[in-house]
Amino acid sequence: MTMQEQLPERLRNQLLGRQLLFSYRTDLLADGRFGSQWIAVTDQDVFVWKEEGTPVYRLSVSELKDARAAGAVGGGMLIADTHAGPVVLVRYTAALTSVFNYMAKLIRALAKSEEPPAISERDCPRYCPDCGLPLPESTQVCQLCANNGKLAVRMLRYAKPYRLRMVIAAVLLILTTVLELIPPYLTKVMIDDVLQSEGRETLLLAVVAGLGATMLMMAIMQAVRGYIGAWVGSKLMGDIRRDIYNSLMKLSLAFFDRRQTSQFISRVNNDAESMRQFMTDGVIYVCGETLRIVAIFAILLSMDWQLALLALLPMPIMLVASMKIWPKIGRRLYQQWRSIFRLNTLVGDSLQGIRVIKAFGREGEETSRYGIANAEVIRNNVKTEGMWQFIFPAFGFIAGLSTLLIWYAGGAKVLGAELQLGTLIAMIAYLGMLFGPLQWFSQMISWAGNAMAAAHRVFEIMDTPPDVPDAAQPVSPGLIKGEVRFAGVTYGYEKHHPVLKNVDLHVKPGEMIGLVGHSGAGKSTFINLLCRFYDTDEGAIHIDGVSIRDIAQSELRSQIGVVLQETFLFDGSIADNIAYSKPDATPEEIMRAAKVANAHDFIVKMPDGYDTRVGERGHKLSGGEKQRVAIARAIIHDPRILILDEATASVDTETERQIQEAIARLIRGRTTFAIAHRLSTLRGADRLVVLDQGKIVEVGTHEELLEQKGGVYRKLVDAQKELSQIRGVES
Amino acid sequence: MQDIHDGVRVLQPESVSFSRSRGGVLEGVLHGKSYKELVVYRTFPFRYPSRYLSIRTPEGEELGIIDDIAELDGESRQELSLELEFRYFLPRVERVERVDFQSDLWIWELQTHLGPTRLVMRNLHEHLQYAGGNRIVLTDQSGKRCEIPDWRRLDAHSRRQLSELL
Repeated sequence: MTMQEQLPERLRNQLLGRQLLFSYRTDLLADGRFGSQWIAVTDQDVFVWKEEGTPVYRLSVSELKDARAAGAVGGGMLIADTHAGPVVLVRYTAALTSVFNYMAKLIRALAKSEEPPAISERDCPRYCPDCGLPLPESTQVCQLCANNGKLAVRMLRYAKPYRLRMVIAAVLLILTTVLELIPPYLTKVMIDDVLQSEGRETLLLAVVAGLGATMLMMAIMQAVRGYIGAWVGSKLMGDIRRDIYNSLMKLSLAFFDRRQTSQFISRVNNDAESMRQFMTDGVIYVCGETLRIVAIFAILLSMDWQLALLALLPMPIMLVASMKIWPKIGRRLYQQWRSIFRLNTLVGDSLQGIRVIKAFGREGEETSRYGIANAEVIRNNVKTEGMWQFIFPAFGFIAGLSTLLIWYAGGAKVLGAELQLGTLIAMIAYLGMLFGPLQWFSQMISWAGNAMAAAHRVFEIMDTPPDVPDAAQPVSPGLIKGEVRFAGVTYGYEKHHPVLKNVDLHVKPGEMIGLVGHSGAGKSTFINLLCRFYDTDEGAIHIDGVSIRDIAQSELRSQIGVVLQETFLFDGSIADNIAYSKPDATPEEIMRAAKVANAHDFIVKMPDGYDTRVGERGHKLSGGEKQRVAIARAIIHDPRILILDEATASVDTETERQIQEAIARLIRGRTTFAIAHRLSTLRGADRLVVLDQGKIVEVGTHEELLEQKGGVYRKLVDAQKELSQIRGVES
Repeated sequence: MQDIHDGVRVLQPESVSFSRSRGGVLEGVLHGKSYKELVVYRTFPFRYPSRYLSIRTPEGEELGIIDDIAELDGESRQELSLELEFRYFLPRVERVERVDFQSDLWIWELQTHLGPTRLVMRNLHEHLQYAGGNRIVLTDQSGKRCEIPDWRRLDAHSRRQLSELL
């Protein structure tokens, strides 16, 4: 019940003691303006109130026929169909679509006296409980409110194994900072005590030698520290990347269904990089600079506190300016990036569509479109680059102002013999060192911010529990015979919208089952449940009498082989791909598998034979060839239960014959589930199972089902015949 | 299979009337046949927001096209315009109070003709749509949309907020 917004007490009192099933606050008023109303569904009525509690509607369930959420553009309305006609209950913006879709289903179930649907996590838009902002699609943590302290600690835990080296680096950092402060002091000694008096040649040599030694020490320590930094940084980044990837591999398929996979590529790399940057460069830089600023302050104050305070006058100006300017710079840079992005998209688009452009003779228009976008990039470039050219001189000027102040006030003191010349020179040198880090002050804040955001995303992946957990004490069924039983299986990717409904099926060992049905009928879901990519909502699946929830997933999948619709080959040789599930397979085994899959001949004919590199950057195999490699992969896996999800890609008759032959050999003696779009593939099936809208509607052999006039299967066959794609079913 | 119509049926303004039912839905009489619930679609939402309107049943079957809303009688015109406002929920931005960038999110505080609202975007390049001229359509992460009909005609404060972003 935590997902519902709490119904206020004043409205709860108006429920007349009815049992509250669901309530929610809308974000629009009845006239379409922003504002809120409350709607509550009880077991007997539907209530709608204005925000302050004035009732708007009260409809008894007995008046209702149906309810629906009528989606529109950017929002929608919840309509109740009463016996007196449709009634608009509430209006809402697109942000609440999923909630009201659920509410419509709930009211419909009540109106039709059905079991009310369960609410799932995804029905409610997720808001940060602290700040009320909607949470982004793929995350559970609010970026604005997350506890940065805890995060930083957790992030720094990665540095733990390397703490010795980190400590050394820190000590070196402190030493270099201190050392950097020595040269100006020696300059002061040189001017005040050495150069202005006679016969101090030995002291001069000593001071110069001292300067030289400091410089050398600094160079050495910087090099060592830099090396340690690079070493620790690379190790850290490697550790973080490894952990992210491990977590990704452990997550259930459902996690990936809901998200764009491409975003993870950047997560694994970019986020690890920003975290590393923060932990090595960031922490060291911030500590070092802070230390340096404090030390310089102390020295300046000890030399002449009046002058020191005077010199620091422009500092607040610089701090404020830097805080103001960095966000602006960030926006400018983003603006520039966006215009370049648009330009690139334009080029990408027109090059991909170059045939269309040429065919319609639109080269001129495309060129002028490019010209406009190009001008935009130029304009933004000038703006951004120009800005840099102003910022640095401006900062330099402000810093120069304080030098001027010191020169003037200090110079007067020197003239009045209140101050030694060397001290003045040293103070000016220290000032120069002070203003460097101040310019970058707020840049550091944004680095830290980025690192925190990255850490959020990374830890979020690591913290996501798998949806399909292994049993605490898995049962090992040994080598399975292949008896499969579906008992009352119901499953929906969204809980209230089942894709499979109450499916019962008993499959004997070694039987071949063909799954038939329109797209969206639930065929792929059936297979996904058998592989236990998802867990059933209701009912259970048993293999050899053992529930698949009790079998360890690794063992279950070692006995299930899949030849998928999208034949995916990994980067590597053909031999590697065939031996994917059995890396220690001998060359003979690989060849035998390929032979059975009718792949041996075409592989040997290629110049590089079994060592031919395939995958993303390798040799391009044709669709039919890829499929046969995938079949060989399944053969070497030697599963007891085989799943075939046939490719829709059309291949020529000869290739198809070869694939069919290979499949026929592959399925021998194994329990097989085959999804086929061309019904001809299912010739060898012992039984066909026809799915329609998530239910099993027909079961039988091809001939039996064909005899059912008006049956779903008969219709499918007729439709394919019409498209004259049915080759050989009749033969 | 859906039936394929040979052409587009244009509804005659004089034989069409729209009104609002007691339950608040759009109802109407088209060429003598009365409908308890009607849905209106814009065919060119950007270019012709009040013309070429497709009138459909709740099930989505097209009953015909209204050429121009201005040709209808008073009540019909009013109810159809209202229904368009409901169905195409696109508040017009009257003032941009603030645009903040915090922890990777752009947060817009806006005054619209339907009241104040807040939009949250992960980035700008996917959520700002330049719909020709100086018109900008803002889309929130959750799919909520607002429109700036002409950003050059907003007040100085709003323009200053926008100038760095557009």
